[in-house]
Amino acid sequence: MSVPRGAVHAKWIVGKVIGTKMQKTAKVRVTRLVLDPYLLKFFNKRKTYFAHDPLQQCVVGDIVLLKALPERRSKHVKHELAEIVFKVGNVIDPITGKPCAGTRFLENLSDSENLTEADTSYLSEKLQELKVCSTDK
Amino acid sequence: MAMKGRFPIRRTLQYLSQGDVVFKGSVKVMTVNYNSAGERSEGARRFVFFNIPQIQYKNPWVQIMLFRNMTPSPFLRFYLDSGEQVLVDVEDKTNKEINEHIKKILGKSKEMLEREERERKKLSHPATFGPKKYHLRECMCEIEGQVPCPAFVPLPKEMRGKYKAALKNE
Repeated sequence: MSVPRGAVHAKWIVGKVIGTKMQKTAKVRVTRLVLDPYLLKFFNKRKTYFAHDPLQQCVVGDIVLLKALPERRSKHVKHELAEIVFKVGNVIDPITGKPCAGTRFLENLSDSENLTEADTSYLSEKLQELKVCSTDK
Repeated sequence: MAMKGRFPIRRTLQYLSQGDVVFKGSVKVMTVNYNSAGERSEGARRFVFFNIPQIQYKNPWVQIMLFRNMTPSPFLRFYLDSGEQVLVDVEDKTNKEINEHIKKILGKSKEMLEREERERKKLSHPATFGPKKYHLRECMCEIEGQVPCPAFVPLPKEMRGKYKAALKNE
């Protein structure tokens, strides 16, 4: 059979780590949205996958991206850890690259400490131009 | 089905099939990070409320995950088959803009969808008869103007096999 990768249907999946008690293996819960045929509403359906984690760097609660292995590693392990998307307690906002917690950033976002002399003089010149004179009235 | 809830129109097949974002085959996972409060995330919230059911209906094999209040800025992230990740910042965008944007970057174009529709039509010939699963009609008796089904209206004597056999024997 010409199956280049994955003895399994799901090639890439994102899930939450729920257990790390096995050696070099992480238990990951993956939720998909499934349509209820009568209510016509989408509900989360969970499924657990086992992923190979050679460096044992997953902690319970991480959001991870799993990649399907070309062939099964053991009876249940068919995926391996590709990357940790969000580390629990240490979430990095991908847009700014800064650590954050919930809806606020953990460190100060303003970059006024890194301005050089040239920057400050340039900025003060710009501010002079923007000064609104009230002599029109 | 009773129309209960805030916008029950979202739970109709007509609304779901009106979604026009069909992802390319390489998109495997879609992740939406948004916040429950805050004006900057308003477009993302509306997108999740109105458009995600349409997208999931049209793309049943794409895994969609929603994360709330994890980061201050709302964004979408797509994981493609090649390992590539596409990050889409949706701060201060309306849900229509977000929909158009992802349709443009990762959706199948209208020509492609029409082509696929035509391919699907080619596979089934509308003029054949057979089981309902594969054909439009099961028997000639269903069509108006043709001989009605003998189960409901008995055939005239001349068309029945036993009469024709009796005539031949004579």
